[in-house]
Formats: sequence, structure tokens, C-alpha cells
Amino acid sequence: MSLMLATIIILIAVGFAASFARSRVKGLRAGGARLNSLPNYHAAYVFLWGAVPALIFLLVWAPLQAMFVEQAVLATPEGMALPDTGFRPAVLAEAKALATGEISSAFNSDARALAPYFEAAIGRYSMIGAFIAFVVAGLGTFFSMRRVGVNFRARNGVERWVMGLLVIASMVAIFTTLGIVLSLLFETIRFFNLVNPIEFLFGLDWSPQLAIRADQAGSSGAFGSIPLFWGTVFIGAIIAMIVAIPLGLMSAIFLTQYAPARLRSWLKPILEILAGVPTVVYGYFAALTVAPAVRDFALAMGLSNASSESALAAGVVMGIMIIPFVSSMADDSIAAVPAAMNDGSLALGATQSETIKRVIFPAALPGIVGGILLAVSRAIGETMIVVMAAGLAANLTANPFDSVTTVTVQIVQLLTGDQEFDSAKTLAAFALGLVLFFITLVLNLYALRVVRKYREAYE
Amino acid sequence: MNSPTEKLGAAERWTSEAMQRRVKQRYAAERRFKMFGMAAVGLSVAFLAFLLVNMATNGFSGFFRTEASVTVNFPASDVMVDPASLEGDDARSILSGAGLRGAIREAAVDTYGEAGEELFGGSAVNALTDMLVDDPDMLMREVDIMLPVTSEVDLAHKGDGSAAGEALAALAAERGTIDTKFNWTFLTASDATNPGEVGIWGALVGSFLTIIVTMLLAFPIGVLSAVYLEEFAPKNKWTDMVEVSINNLAAVPSIIFGLLGLAVFLNFMHLPRSAPLVGGLTLALMTMPVIVIAGRNAIKAVPPSIRDAALGVGASKMQVVFHHVLPLALPGILTGTIIGMARALGETAPLLLIGMRAFVSSPPTGIMSDATVLPMQIFLWSDEVDRGFVEKTSAAIIVLLLFMLAMNALAIYLRNRFEQRW
Repeated sequence: MSLMLATIIILIAVGFAASFARSRVKGLRAGGARLNSLPNYHAAYVFLWGAVPALIFLLVWAPLQAMFVEQAVLATPEGMALPDTGFRPAVLAEAKALATGEISSAFNSDARALAPYFEAAIGRYSMIGAFIAFVVAGLGTFFSMRRVGVNFRARNGVERWVMGLLVIASMVAIFTTLGIVLSLLFETIRFFNLVNPIEFLFGLDWSPQLAIRADQAGSSGAFGSIPLFWGTVFIGAIIAMIVAIPLGLMSAIFLTQYAPARLRSWLKPILEILAGVPTVVYGYFAALTVAPAVRDFALAMGLSNASSESALAAGVVMGIMIIPFVSSMADDSIAAVPAAMNDGSLALGATQSETIKRVIFPAALPGIVGGILLAVSRAIGETMIVVMAAGLAANLTANPFDSVTTVTVQIVQLLTGDQEFDSAKTLAAFALGLVLFFITLVLNLYALRVVRKYREAYE
Repeated sequence: MNSPTEKLGAAERWTSEAMQRRVKQRYAAERRFKMFGMAAVGLSVAFLAFLLVNMATNGFSGFFRTEASVTVNFPASDVMVDPASLEGDDARSILSGAGLRGAIREAAVDTYGEAGEELFGGSAVNALTDMLVDDPDMLMREVDIMLPVTSEVDLAHKGDGSAAGEALAALAAERGTIDTKFNWTFLTASDATNPGEVGIWGALVGSFLTIIVTMLLAFPIGVLSAVYLEEFAPKNKWTDMVEVSINNLAAVPSIIFGLLGLAVFLNFMHLPRSAPLVGGLTLALMTMPVIVIAGRNAIKAVPPSIRDAALGVGASKMQVVFHHVLPLALPGILTGTIIGMARALGETAPLLLIGMRAFVSSPPTGIMSDATVLPMQIFLWSDEVDRGFVEKTSAAIIVLLLFMLAMNALAIYLRNRFEQRW
């Protein structure tokens, strides 16, 4: 808490310094001097140099301090006596909460014994941290105050800060991508130390449940991911697209070519609502309404072993969700076809539908294909619908009434429940995530290139 | 070549029977094609309508609950509580130990006979506790009150119950009064194990805190990043890379962000599981690219003449951007932000991985405390076996959909109201 206090003190003190700089520059101006920069820029300059480095230091210091404190506590006799088991973090957390006053009494006696050490260590390290932060803030304020004056270009200084902020903001996307790749890669490598990558990528058997005893059958679990990827492709790229492509394309054609403007202005937002409905709602709809209907249909057709969790139910609902995607991408590419091509075809006597089929559609095809690829990438990454409606059995089947499982379902299954992060079971989720990331990455990049390249062709 | 007979032949070619048949066929094909298009749009809209109607009819009854009358004689019951002691803050803890459940059961048996024992459950105890806190003097007399029945009887009264529930509902209707009232508990309570006692308030507060964290992070970063890329960035390999990664992040599956949140925020930074802070951070990374893309389009749409004019009177590049371009682009950026926020509000998959599927029975008090969000609450309830949860899940979905529709409507309104064409 005392670091929080240091932050507040620094902000208030530097704020005062900034307002002092402002009034000083204002005074100079009133005295008839021609200033390079407005007084507010001088104030901002002082504030930025005074507060920001100190606050950045505190931000870095806070996690370091937590680490130092823990080490100091563990170095005490009581700390060394703690057994190094999974129980230790819980005791430490409780002692820490007791020391900072978050809880008033500790359940564990070890925690009670450690609490005073925690209190002392936290006090010591936060004093050190606060002191360094005060020094940094003081130096920053001092040197920036010295520069404040008639000829000083405070605005340029402030703008350099803002520019730095802009660059950092634009780098967040890179850091996020990097974070995704690194965190997935790191855990995947750990996974591959336990499981052969060849088995993972080409194996046909998926049963990640580890046996309790080593001599039981299937004690190592099986991590062949092919059935998962087949299930993903079957639901996302086959069944969902059989629903979404015709409906989406024909909707786009009707809306761009036939519908009167008023109707179009109503129908388009309504279709877009389909994309805005949360996926958990689709999942519930699929599980509660569509899946039983599909099963009844299968039973009526004479399939005796129809499952209530079928690839068809999940795929159809996912297809409905994807319709507005396909239709708006198709809409864009049809709109990009020059009107002269449409007019030329009509002038030769072709009907509207012939023009669409023979002229507009072929011309818009690359854009439409790009849009469909994006839709596929979206469908194979979709989680909630398949978690709620597709089932858990890893089947290599082409029967849509059968239960299949997908990559995303398995990621959720593997990571909810037990919380050890060193078993092959939990690490497998990251390996699946990595493969999923790369597949969607390739699909996205290729689709974006196709769409962009095509758009430029007519401009 | 140009003899009269040949001209006649040409005219005949356009009027011959074969030709007219072909034309007819072509027109029929044209009509068919148009019909297909209409059918596709109609089918899509029908799907949406079916989904909405389905949820509404399933969930509407979740906003109501069945109550049955019962006569509780407090002076004669085992409940020994001094009404004066209920004036303070600990009234609820006093009442929770006072044996209200037994008193209700006795009163139910008095009113409805032996079978009446099964009529009231935990939600009746909660309702009676609320009544007593409001009016402690009730403890001094015999009172006639309406209490909510168990979820089983509730379902039966709404016409969808088991045989045992039907029998109890019939009993209640025969010997006393049974009525359907608006279920305030559903709006004010949090998660519970019994469908009669559940509510969405806790999830709403969790959603609100999470979305606030998301917005505070994603909006400034997204806007600043869009400003940099559109106004200042040099055209080089580095900015190309930033651009590609933003476009790609906007299309990365949301569950991947869950994996990132799990690996970085929970396992590496040791932030608390199931907290709005971590949920908000994860969703912010997911929403930020959407805001950047919307922001860039809005900034691009501001005509260069505005920039030239400001530069011409001596503004610096930074002043041009922050005093002129950004305010003009703001409506467009806001529209994109609202759409991104609506998406984040309905997102479930990444939150599943960072532990937000916990059972949380009280509203969160801050961004570090245990919380659940509305979509996650829907997911958790959809997993419950108890049939009473079906209508609660659909009712929660109605609330979520209303929020989504409101946000989208706001975005459309902003777009129509403030969109400028230069």
C-alpha cells in the first residue's frame, strides 16, 4: 500500500511544481517577454519529466518487490522450515494477506508465524522503492524546471513525449502477437518433451485422460490430434459452409442487385444482428433446440444410434452465425465491380440474373473467395457453439449425425478442471492452440491478400 | 446480302416460336434466381426471428415466479426473535439462525396438510427474511403472506412440471391462493444452487466491471495506435509488420486470447483468477485491433483540406491531429468502439480459460475480487441439470440480447447522426 501512497505524493508534488512553472512563465509573459511556447506546455513538460519516469519505475518495482519480499521471508528460519510442496504458495499467500491486513486472522499457524516477517520485509522494500521513486521524480522535476524559460521550446519537448506514447501504443499489437506466439510456443515445447510431435500431428487416437496408476491401460494418454482437426474441419469448413455460402451469397446478390434501397436499408442491419448475437446464445440454442430436433430427424430416418450431440446441429447453427459475414464480404466485392460491366451486359440483352452469373460473379469471385476463407477461419476458431452442442468423443467420421469433437472444445476441456501446469494433459491445450493459431494465421493472411489485391485491380 | 427475304428472316428469328420459348425460359430463370435471393434473405431473417422468439418464449416466464399464500403464526412458532433486535445491521444474520425454515414448513402443513411440507423451499426463507427486515413487528402476530414456492411447483404452475409438482400446485390452488408475480429476486440476486433463488445482478456487476477495464485499456491504446499509423508512421517494413499484426489479431480466434491470458496474466504475472481485472485485460487485447481498424478508417475519412488549413495557420503536426482531425473522426471511432465493446460483452470463450466459470454467489466488490459475467452465467446455468434453470438461462439470454441490441442501436444512431460526408 505504501507504494500507492508514494504514487499519490509524487503526483501531487509534481502537479504543484508544474503549476508553479506555469505561473512563472505566465509572469514572464505578463512582463512583456515573447515566449516560444504557451505556459501550459511548460507545465506539461515539467509534469511529464517529473512524474512519468518515477511512475514507470514504480510500475517495474512493484512485481520486483513482491519477489524480493518472498525471498526475504523464505530466507528466515521459519520460512526455511516450510516444506517445499504445493502447499507452500497457499501458506505464503495467507501470511501476506494477514500482514497487509486483507484478512484479520489466519487459518494456518505457519502463516501466522510468517506474517511479521512479511510485514517487516514489505515495509523495508517499499521504503526503498518509494525513496528511489522520490529521487527520480525530484531529479526530473529539478532539471525540467531549470529549462523552463522564455526561449525554451517546451512544446517540442511535450510533443516528443506524445510521439513516444503513440509509438508505444502502436507496438501493443506487435507485443500481443509476440505474446501469443511465445506463450504458446513455450508451453508447446514443454509438451513435446513429454509427447512425440509426430504422434501429436499425425496420430489417429485422442484420449488425453491420464490413468491414475502407471500400470493401467492407456497410462500415458493418447495425443493424436488428427480426429480433432477432422472434427473442426467437418463442422466449421464443411457443414457450416454448406449452410452459410449459398445463403450468404444469395442474400448479398439479392440485397445488392434486386432489393429496393429502402428494403435494403432495413434488411442489412437485421442480417448484421445475426453476427452480433453472442456465441453462447447460439450454443444454447443449438444444444436446447436444434440438437434434439436433429436427433429426432435422424431417428425418424431410421438411424438408431443418433446422438443428441451431433456435428450437424453445431455446424448448422455455426453456419447461420456466419451468414452475415459471407454476405457482407460478397456485398463488398460485388460493389467493387465497375458499373460499366453490369451496364454493358444488360445493354447486350442479358437478363439481370445472366449478368450476375456470367459477368458480375466471375469478376467478384476472388473477393468472395477471400471472404469465404475469412469465414472459415472464423468458424474453425469458434468455441462456444461447439462446446455446448458438438460433444466430446473424438471420432473420425463423416456421418453428420455422429458426435465429433473439435480443437477448441478440447482446449476448453483440457484447461478447465485440474490446475497443474506440468502434465501433458494441460500442456496439450497450448499445442492445440498453437496449431489453431497458425492455421487461422495462414488463412487470414492469404484471405486478406486476395481481398486486397483484387480490390486494387479495379481502381 | 441485303435482299428483302433475308431481312424478313432476321425479323422472324426474333418472333419465331422457338425464340419466344427461349425468351420465356430466360425470364423464368430470371424470376427463379430472384426468388432464390429472396428466399435466402427470408430464410436468414426467419432464423433470427425463430431464435429470438424461441428465447423470448422460453425465458419470459423466468421473470415471474409463483407464490402461494400461507398463514404464519409467529407467537406460536419456534421463532424466538425480539423485533427490536432487527433494527440494526445484523438483522439478517440474526434471522438466518432463527429457524424460519421450520416455521414456514409448520405453517405450510397447517394450511395445506401433510403434503404441503414440500411446497416451500429456500427462496421462501429468503423472501420471508426480507419481509421481516422491512417489518419486524410481524413477529408479534399471525400474518397472512404470499411466499414463493419451490422451483418444481413453480414449473408445474407455469404448465411444464413433473407429476409431483403438478400435484402440489393443484393442492395449493385448491386449499389456498396461488398466484404469479414479478420475480424481483431474478434481477437483484446472484448465482445460487437452487433455480428459485438465482439472479443476474452479480453477473451484471461483473460484466460492468470487466467491460470498464476493457474500455479504459482498449480505447486509448486503440485510438493512439490508429493516430500513429494513419498520421505519423513512415512507410517501412516496421509499420507494415504492425499493420499486418493488427489485421491478423482482429481475426485470431478468441479462445487464443484466453490461452494468452492464462499463460501471461495468471501463470506468469500471478494475477488473481476469475477477476474482472484479468478478464478486462484479456478482452482489451482482443478488442483493441477492432478499435484501431475503425479508428484508421474514421481518420482516413477526414479530408486533407482540414489538415492543410490548420498547418497553414502555423499549427504543429501534433496540434493538427489532436485539435482538428481527432475530434472530427471521433464519431466514427466511437461507433467502432461500441461495436467492439458489444462483442467483448458477449464473449465467453477466453473468459472460460482464465477461470471465470467459478460459482460466485455475491456481486464482486472490485476489479480484483471473484466475479462472473453475464455470458458466463448463461453458460454455467445451461450446464445445470435442474429443469428450473432452463427458463432462467433463457431469461438471462433475454437480458444479454437486450444489452447487445441497445449497444448496436446506439452505434447505428451515432453513425447516422454524426456521419459527415465531405
